[in-house]
Amino acid sequence: MRFAFLLALAVWAAPGQASLLEVVTTSADLRSLVAAVGGDRVKVESLALPEHDPHAIELKPAQLAALRRAALVVRVGLDHEPWLARLKTDGMVLDASRGVHLLQTQTPRLRVERKAHSHAFGNTHYWLDPRNAWPITASIVEALSRLAPAERAVFEMNRARFLQRLEPKIAEWTQRLAPLRGAKAVVIHDSWAYFAERFGLAIVAAAESTPGVPPSPAELSKLFARMREAGVKLVIADPHSNPALVRQIAEKTGARPVTLLPSGLDYIALFDENATRLSR
Amino acid sequence: MIELLAWPLVAALVLTGMHAWLGLHVLARGVVFVDLALAQVAALGIMVALLYGFPVQSDAAYWHALAFAIAGAVLFAAARAAEASINQEAVIGIVYAVSAALGVLALDRAPQGAEHIKQLLIGSLLTVTPGEVVELALLYGFIGLAHWLVRRPLVEVSFHPLLAGARRRSIFFWDVVFYGSFALVVTSSVRIAGVLLVFSYLIVPAAIAGLFSPSLATRLALAWALGAAVTVAGFLASWGWDLPTGPAIVAVFGMATALAVIARASLRTLAMWGCGIAALAGLLLVAAPQVEQPWLPEAMFLSGDELEMRAETLQSVDAASTELARLRELEQDVRWGRETMTDEKQERLRQYLAGRSEILAGERLVLKALSEAARERQRYIVGLPLLALASAALGLLFSARARSGRR
Repeated sequence: MRFAFLLALAVWAAPGQASLLEVVTTSADLRSLVAAVGGDRVKVESLALPEHDPHAIELKPAQLAALRRAALVVRVGLDHEPWLARLKTDGMVLDASRGVHLLQTQTPRLRVERKAHSHAFGNTHYWLDPRNAWPITASIVEALSRLAPAERAVFEMNRARFLQRLEPKIAEWTQRLAPLRGAKAVVIHDSWAYFAERFGLAIVAAAESTPGVPPSPAELSKLFARMREAGVKLVIADPHSNPALVRQIAEKTGARPVTLLPSGLDYIALFDENATRLSR
Repeated sequence: MIELLAWPLVAALVLTGMHAWLGLHVLARGVVFVDLALAQVAALGIMVALLYGFPVQSDAAYWHALAFAIAGAVLFAAARAAEASINQEAVIGIVYAVSAALGVLALDRAPQGAEHIKQLLIGSLLTVTPGEVVELALLYGFIGLAHWLVRRPLVEVSFHPLLAGARRRSIFFWDVVFYGSFALVVTSSVRIAGVLLVFSYLIVPAAIAGLFSPSLATRLALAWALGAAVTVAGFLASWGWDLPTGPAIVAVFGMATALAVIARASLRTLAMWGCGIAALAGLLLVAAPQVEQPWLPEAMFLSGDELEMRAETLQSVDAASTELARLRELEQDVRWGRETMTDEKQERLRQYLAGRSEILAGERLVLKALSEAARERQRYIVGLPLLALASAALGLLFSARARSGRR
């Protein structure tokens, strides 16, 4: 009898005792996904704003404190955040790339020879395929449930609700981008592989094959010639692409330059915006 | 290709014209890093404009940059007046560091501009537009004309400050004129060519010309000729060897400096440097044979079997490289739609390329192991005598110099 009473007390007291799980993510997109899964059970903060260069973040003291305090750190993984290696956290670290089918995973040596994107373990921009929200949110549910086992059902439900919202959106984006299916595009920086794979764009080349190294005259002239020959009508730039280079490619080849956002505060709004920019 | 390089080349020649002249002043004043500091101050101005919500490429951002750079120029002019209490070069360094740090603080509040600012300091000569070149030429033409009209006080204040003082010229006023026009030039040129290239155009031609003539007019003519020659050589290198243009020009500037110094050096100095480098190479070979030494012939130190293996591997590396290059070209053609290939065939090609590249890398490892074996054998046979002979020669040269010095 006394045991049953204690049990009842525990069950009654549990929601009140459960303080918010503090989560820190390295990118705004992951923050959006953690917030979708964690709902009102988590307090989540991103170390980088969407406008920040995720490869080079300079942390502020309050962020460092949040990182120390966090029960869970969610990161993009691979070698997307080299600065994170030197930071200590007592919490659990979730590499969100686990469970994601990665692209461009040839060995680093091959990559160097081909001058592909400089990441060593595969292209890291996997969140730009909205289908990858499934494995990413699944990992987040697992991690959060390990920290708060009693809340697993809530997390599962939140995730299902979010994915239910996402599913028709993907159909909508696919439909809006259907005219571009199979269209050849040149990117400035090799960060759109996943996005292109999902929505059927054919990326034929990256203008700046090594980030930070301007293309040589021969590379540029070959690019222009091939773009004209193949009738490439689309150049995809990032917000931080060299505007002079984008302008030059557009002028010399007649291709339409579109700046897509690689990161956003709201995961679904990010794709809405990119779909709008592309289909404009 | 030519149409791609024509305007950048003109832009670089325009840069040469203005910067060689300013460089002579900068060297005479001993303020070598003033352009880096002013470029950083201008970048800070753009970041402040960003904080107020103006986009990076707006006119407002440009005027902010210019206003900040001119404020920096006035500060440098004032620093010269206070030189007795604080070194002007120190002020320039401090301004550089502080404005770079303030820039980071500003970016923390307005991160959307970070990459653009970085780009601004890196520049991109290759993407310059005809309109920009014309604007640059007009601006520099105007500044050059103004400098020509007031050349006497400007030259005196830069090159003979004591004389200027004796003639009761207002050094502060002429410094403001000099640094102000300098700020105007740097704000425009860094946007196009980036700090590295602008620094090279400013300092290298003037410094090399200084090695050959004491007369200002001759030095200016030499600096112009040299800057133009290096520019053309840099463009040719970039074109011929497929290199990014800006860094290629800076590298040629470095080479030109080395050649000029060698040309001016005495035979004895050259011999001393040669012996020193040879002794160092010998020491390196003895102490750390694993370090690459591309100048050493390795074939002499390999056995018959090893030589055979080396020849075979070299041949197969060569064949594999050619084949890989051909297949990669094919893969590119498929990507661009010049060739058609079924998905399955494409995947097979990809797998084959991956496998073949790994084998090629393995063959390169064999070559590396062979040259390591050769260097291990050369370690004492070549390294020790080289070290001993070169050190002895170096010692002899030093003592000969000491003796001739005493005489």
